[in-house]
Amino acid sequence: MSDQFISIYQTSEEQLLEKAVQDGVETMWDRKAAMKAPCGFGEKGICCRICAMGPCRISPVAGKGAQRGICGATADVIVARNLARMVAAGTASHSDHARDIAHVMHMASRDGNFKIRDEKKLLDLASEWGVKTEDRDIYEVAHEVAEIALNEFGKPFGTLRFLERAPEKRKKVWDDLQIRPRAIDREIATILHSTHIGCTGDAESLLHMSMRTALADGWGGSMIGTVFSDILYGTPVPRETESNLGVLDEKQVNIILHGHEPSLSEMIVMASLDPEMQKLAKKVGAEGINLAGMCCTGNEVTMRHGVKIAGNFYQQEMAVLTGAVEAVIVDVQCIFPSLVPITECYHTKFITTSPKAKITGATHIEFHEDRALESAKAIVREAIENFKNRKKEKVFIPTEKSSGVVGYSVEAIIKQLDKVVNPHIDPMGTIKPLADVIKAGVLRGAVGIVGCNNPKSKHDYSHIEIMKKMIANDVIVVTTGCAAQAAVKAGLTNKDARKLAGQGLATVCELVDIPPVLHLGSCVDISRIMTIVGEVAKHMDLDNSDLPVAGIAPEWMSEKAVAIANYVVATGIDTFLGITPPVTGSEEVMDIMTNRVEAMTGAKFFIEEDPHVLADKVLSRIEEKRQKLGI
Amino acid sequence: MNLFQTIFTGSNQAVSAAEGLLKQAIEQKGRDHKVAFPDTAYALPVIYAATGIKITTLGELEGAIGIVKSLIVEELQLTQALNAGLATAVSAEIIEAIKYAMNETPYEAPCAGHISDPIIRSLGVPLVTGDIPGVAVVLGECPDSATAAKVIKDYQSKGLLTFLVGKVIDQAIEGNVKMGLELRVIPLGYDVTSVIHVVSVAIRASLIFGAVEPGKLDKHMEYTKNRVPAFVNAFGPLSELVVSAGAGAIALGFPVITDQVVPEVPTLLLTQKDYDKFVATSLEARGIKIKITELPIPVAFAAAFEGERIRKED
Repeated sequence: MSDQFISIYQTSEEQLLEKAVQDGVETMWDRKAAMKAPCGFGEKGICCRICAMGPCRISPVAGKGAQRGICGATADVIVARNLARMVAAGTASHSDHARDIAHVMHMASRDGNFKIRDEKKLLDLASEWGVKTEDRDIYEVAHEVAEIALNEFGKPFGTLRFLERAPEKRKKVWDDLQIRPRAIDREIATILHSTHIGCTGDAESLLHMSMRTALADGWGGSMIGTVFSDILYGTPVPRETESNLGVLDEKQVNIILHGHEPSLSEMIVMASLDPEMQKLAKKVGAEGINLAGMCCTGNEVTMRHGVKIAGNFYQQEMAVLTGAVEAVIVDVQCIFPSLVPITECYHTKFITTSPKAKITGATHIEFHEDRALESAKAIVREAIENFKNRKKEKVFIPTEKSSGVVGYSVEAIIKQLDKVVNPHIDPMGTIKPLADVIKAGVLRGAVGIVGCNNPKSKHDYSHIEIMKKMIANDVIVVTTGCAAQAAVKAGLTNKDARKLAGQGLATVCELVDIPPVLHLGSCVDISRIMTIVGEVAKHMDLDNSDLPVAGIAPEWMSEKAVAIANYVVATGIDTFLGITPPVTGSEEVMDIMTNRVEAMTGAKFFIEEDPHVLADKVLSRIEEKRQKLGI
Repeated sequence: MNLFQTIFTGSNQAVSAAEGLLKQAIEQKGRDHKVAFPDTAYALPVIYAATGIKITTLGELEGAIGIVKSLIVEELQLTQALNAGLATAVSAEIIEAIKYAMNETPYEAPCAGHISDPIIRSLGVPLVTGDIPGVAVVLGECPDSATAAKVIKDYQSKGLLTFLVGKVIDQAIEGNVKMGLELRVIPLGYDVTSVIHVVSVAIRASLIFGAVEPGKLDKHMEYTKNRVPAFVNAFGPLSELVVSAGAGAIALGFPVITDQVVPEVPTLLLTQKDYDKFVATSLEARGIKIKITELPIPVAFAAAFEGERIRKED
């Protein structure tokens, strides 16, 4: 199934790239080629430009050439500083995303566009945070909870509330290392402070700070993002979807939703279902409005509404190359500025909506949350009216698409697990069945496969190869982000894919009625993975780092991925990187990341660019952890 | 020890026991000595179903040992664990076959040992119609005979066919459980290996009623899983051998419910410490639903009592 996927995929991609040449369009591949060989200093992380005495660069050869920057910073310090700033940027991205959602919840009202859709989740959170709920209007509760969340970003005292959700043993690790994050923005600011010229000059200390900041993402920003999105837009439940560029429809107005924040995409979904918009679409000669998601915003709307997925990160240009897209509506994060020149070659409107991510040359129609639906309709109207400008002779839509099941929130997974609970023995609604199959060895372990696409790797190839190897070896896969979209495209989130799984996982899939690869959502939804691992650890009275689990980022690219990897390791989960981070210029940093950090957090980084070798390493590490546990 | 390793250990014990016994038997009787179970057209049914080979002499059993060994691959994955369980089943059949080869009547009342083809055929119709809603295999030793009797009588009153293996047989007798084919309670034997005589029933159901070709082991396992509503209740301390035999049961699709602490596998291997809930847990695990119209009468009422004989002294 997936071998076929890779080759089919390559074929249609080649066709689109040929089309790009014919249409005179430049793509990321052209730009990658134009880069020629990357700068070796930047690649190794030993180039520093944080002050005006520089730029400085350190010789990659010990004892030869410049060994220190002008200020005296060693390669170790420079590499650690650069890495720390990547973590800060990643954390800032996820956190600003979360902040907006908390703001939206603060403005939610019974008769407004934004409503409380999962009251139970809100009430549970309210009681977790000590907010009174009795005899109170649900919106009053929501506003108070939202305010508490907003304070998590900048409160002057204490540490983050969601950290309390972790297993006791993990909390102790954080306490011992003194890496419990305080306020989210504060940790980001502290990193920027400490990486200023003449501040921290110790690699290990910088990596500690990086972990603390990253935890402010995973157990702060991202977790707020996920929990609040569920409260506002509904906690996902399993549903069917389709993915790949074949979901674009020649006869309809095709709108690509690209970016991250569900506040916009939710409203666009509502707007596109509006009878007025539907009528307008018919009026311009289309059969309807065809929404297709891309990247994480695509994941958000597919998890909650089954909106089809056009593709993942690297397909954003490809989608425009089809010539069939009326509008690419974006908000923030992972949006190629190249969508400006590429959309100019077609009729496609490239619409930016967030003041946080304006792009020169794009049509900016600001999304106003206080009049969200109206705002969304204005954007959709722009797309519909563009249908008439489509140039038929320029349209080429590849036919490939796959179906799959998405929508596996933690709640949905536990509900599936209830299917195998014997009511005469155990209560419903617990993680026990999962812990049991792991303990017994029917499942050897569980991995989270996440991350981006990166032109350094054959796109989606590493994602799929690693997923296949995991499931064939009875390791269940949970996935988010662009890795998840690769899985849907490859058919791995289809229940039929259990035939590619080992007998243990296949049996579990059959009994629980799930596919072998579970789509858990967007990149902020990696917090769902942290939650599941934590619940299993609590159930078994263990720490996360004792469990046979791993995180894998086969084709990572963004600074968000760096923040994620750091909080995953700090949470006690081994992290395997399929793309080498810019740290190889420091033996010290390499040693901490791939070795010494294990003594601190019980987990470490593995860097391995060959997906097959990486998969073998994951499997042997899983067995190593099992052996330690005696299971 | 992890669960799979326990299974492998039990399987290795089973095969070396079988090998040892076979060597002795050959020394005493020679390789050409006849091997057969009484009243069956399927030779050694488990081996026949699995391989399509009908074994008739001690010498041929040596080949079967090779098959067993090839099934034990000590890799820590479910496939290998289940295969090792099947290896234990085959070893048990070899051991039981040797018993019959060495002794005209290895089993005496109350134990039945091997179950003949005619009996299986007679069970076929009530199994298909659901008149027999399930097959319970109760093995080991309950904490006391009252518990044993309670569980067994409960199955009996629900019309299930119950096979007993091990000390639970004595406990059932002590608990005044009335036994016999027509009463649907059949004591098989005291050795763990005698459990193979009920596996043999399930496998012959697949050969006879399912018309599954001998040699197609996967198809047999599919048939037993889907069509033979059996399950195992394992009481008392579990040896590696019993755990390994349990894996064999799971391979055939039969869940194992025990009163011991084991690494549980949802729906397949469960711990139930509350004896009052044992029956309900087991029926739920096997998906056996019983339509009950309970009559308010002072004695147990069920099809299982249809063949009961009232003796003078009763």
